Amino acid sequence: MPILHAAVPVRLPAAVLLLLGARTLGAQTAVVYGRATDSGGVPLEYVRVQVTGAALAGLTHPDGRYRIAGVSPGTIVVRASRVGFVPALDTVTVEPGDSVGVNFAMRANALFQDPVIVTAAKRSQFLDQAVTSVALVSDSDLARRAVVTVDEAVNRVPGVQFLSGQVNIRGSSGFVEGLGSRVLLLVDGVPANEGDRGGIDWDIVPLADVQRVEVVKGAGSALYGSAAFGGVVNVITRDIAVGIHGRARATGGWYANPPSDVWKFRDGSGGLGGVDLTGSYGTEALRGALTLGGRHSDGYRQQDASDQWETAGRAEWLPAPGTRVTASGAWTSHQYDVFPTWCGPSQCDTHGQAFQPFLIDTSSQGSYTRSNKGYLFATVDRTASPRFAWMARGSWLRSHFTDYHPDDWSVSDRLGAEVRGVAHVGGGDDRVLTFGAEGAHTHVTSDIFGNLGQVASHDEVDVAAYGEGEQRLGRVRLTAGARLDGVAVDGVSQAVQTSPQLGAVLPTSLGTWRASVGRGFRAATIAERFVTTEAFGFQVIPNPSLRPETAWSFELGDVTTVSSWARLDAALFWTEARQLIEPTFLVDPSGVAKIQVQNISRARLRGLDASLTMTPIPSLTGAIAYLLLDARDLANDSVLAFRPKHLLTLSADYRWRTLSVGGDFRYSSRIERIELEAVFGNDPRVPAKVLDVRAGWQRGALSARLLAANALNYIYNLVPRTLEPVRTVSVVLTWTY
Amino acid sequence: MWSRVACAGLASATLACNGGLQPTPAFPGISGIVTYRGAVPDSTQAVYVVAYHSFPHSRDSLFTFQPPVQSLDTLPLGGATAPYNIPVESGRYEWVVAVWVKQGFTLANADSTLRETGYYRNPADTSQPGVVNVLAQPAESIDFVIDFEHMHPPCRYYTPPCP
Repeated sequence: MPILHAAVPVRLPAAVLLLLGARTLGAQTAVVYGRATDSGGVPLEYVRVQVTGAALAGLTHPDGRYRIAGVSPGTIVVRASRVGFVPALDTVTVEPGDSVGVNFAMRANALFQDPVIVTAAKRSQFLDQAVTSVALVSDSDLARRAVVTVDEAVNRVPGVQFLSGQVNIRGSSGFVEGLGSRVLLLVDGVPANEGDRGGIDWDIVPLADVQRVEVVKGAGSALYGSAAFGGVVNVITRDIAVGIHGRARATGGWYANPPSDVWKFRDGSGGLGGVDLTGSYGTEALRGALTLGGRHSDGYRQQDASDQWETAGRAEWLPAPGTRVTASGAWTSHQYDVFPTWCGPSQCDTHGQAFQPFLIDTSSQGSYTRSNKGYLFATVDRTASPRFAWMARGSWLRSHFTDYHPDDWSVSDRLGAEVRGVAHVGGGDDRVLTFGAEGAHTHVTSDIFGNLGQVASHDEVDVAAYGEGEQRLGRVRLTAGARLDGVAVDGVSQAVQTSPQLGAVLPTSLGTWRASVGRGFRAATIAERFVTTEAFGFQVIPNPSLRPETAWSFELGDVTTVSSWARLDAALFWTEARQLIEPTFLVDPSGVAKIQVQNISRARLRGLDASLTMTPIPSLTGAIAYLLLDARDLANDSVLAFRPKHLLTLSADYRWRTLSVGGDFRYSSRIERIELEAVFGNDPRVPAKVLDVRAGWQRGALSARLLAANALNYIYNLVPRTLEPVRTVSVVLTWTY
Repeated sequence: MWSRVACAGLASATLACNGGLQPTPAFPGISGIVTYRGAVPDSTQAVYVVAYHSFPHSRDSLFTFQPPVQSLDTLPLGGATAPYNIPVESGRYEWVVAVWVKQGFTLANADSTLRETGYYRNPADTSQPGVVNVLAQPAESIDFVIDFEHMHPPCRYYTPPCP
């Protein structure tokens, strides 16, 4: 830990001195400004306007205006893009000291997604150049769907499903009772999984600060290492515009009551509400933004209330063209009641029922958790020339939870650092090399990750080096890369893993084909190694010698325009996994049954992930997404637990002037097998059929969104004895300045 | 176009209707008295009574019994007889069986550490298991013998059975 503590403060002042020297270059540059509107002349906010070939970009304000300073003189191409609109280009010539106006009237077309992504290759690239499947959730999607949290936004992405808060990308994670995640969460490219449990705190970033989310499907270990075993979710926060800006977002709503009187558990209805306030100020060189927010929910079942306070801030310094120094941070305090499992006979007053999905086991009454989490990141991005760019960052991530009744707690601190270079050999995109090194030190102190009831500390050190090269050969783009990871826990080496990846992209008359093969791995988390607690009446005992789980993933995909108004993106995927880490029963020498996390499973996950996006008329968009998943536990020759075979999502939205209506329908087939079958195997399980309906109104800086999530109040569960949300009607009012 | 949109909306609504979790009356249960024969083995961890809707003809179906594990109660050993009462849902049960569990049991070694040690028999043909129908009321007087000197591994009932 001392080594990493020292690395960040030494590196930053050196960079700052370097950048101060470069600032005098600004006097020889020009300014490009203008306005973006739709084809009807309505101003468009959040249009990304970029000077191509340079690291200069800006976002339009609510009145559609933008301004980009520091433009190098010469003939430049200005590009405007926004999800749902055809990108627009203009070429202008600027002289030193010029201010040149460039306006854009953009044509709506839902088939056009923002083509630039930053996650799949750890650098900016066009979406259709990625060798693996990538799904995007834009700020338009976030606003249109009126969601409150990041996980709600990701939960409708094709091929993605949440099981009681645990994200699955093509069935990657299943459900492991909160221990570990096979998906890596990034916040602006910085790893943000919990240091102790390896899980994901989806509330670590306020939704108000999220610009877009990129979801990379398939093993991402070749660039991201351990937790990217089953995919990567990168939450990208908003850029800060020049000038003074503000945003207020208020949410209010209520939960439906149980559909049957025998399940009734309170006299009135439960409510929810919250407020987020964001203010920002920016000049050409300095920018800052601050968000404050809070929300309360009564919950939709007994003992389900929660309160959350959050703050996030970001500061940017742009001392010279192509250089950006960013410091960002967030802190969230979340206190929530714990609903461990619903109750059955002899566990509560069931009113003569076999189970009561809205009531808890009375022995769990009074359980709640206080969860505090936050991060501080500092990053220097420098585009030194058209041929070379580099990035250096330092990060601190903390998660601290305290459980009450039963009492336990854990604090984890992760210090991380990364340096990365991107070389465009020859100055273009024909040959691109990405390389870097990454390290992290995690310190965990808790009373459940060690001897029962005793405070214990653990340290984990992760070091890695990676490199990836992309070469264009004719029409084909070939990619090859690898990452070497080393993991040590409490001073003992636990894993040295090499994760190679090969890929290719080929544009043809039948669409753009992509193919990739890569190896992924996930080292056991500190929680999986050392957890000592009680679950479902069984003692859970540690297993410090857990080995990493590994997998080879293959993918063959194609994205093609099937008509002038429809686009199909389909991929066949195949993953062979070994040594999967799962909880299992064993009996100790005294004959007592216990639960321990072990390397037990070999698994195969294969299937089809397809989505069809349609815009039959400019005001109507629709999408059909389908995941067919064949997930087998090869060790036991059975279906892999917690993986539904079919996942279908239907979406449609219609816009008329300032009004819009839409909806999503999500079908997930009945989960055929669950873990701990001996405990929960006889519990009722049903398919999930959830219909969300929404409506919106927007005029100028004001917008109102109505969302009826699970509008038909379909009662279901995905993991044992945990009821999924009932119908929730909410209204979101947003004012933007 | 509008008819297609309307149809899609209607289809979604129809698909989402019905199904889902429904209120389910509490399990009525099966109860009776077991009579012990033979000496209880020293390696005994526990003895349970469980019920199967259909015979477990493979290892995959071995753990499809009712009630759930956490609702299982160990039979009291040491006496000549013992009452039992297991909470199971309404339905037809082909096999109500006593399971002997050896010390050292795990899911992985279930074939060698579990034994059938007696089951409810058809009163009209005691060579065959008796079917128990559980309706709204508990099925009572489902009495049978537990013989610790004639225990059988679960694979005896697999298809094909073990040698």
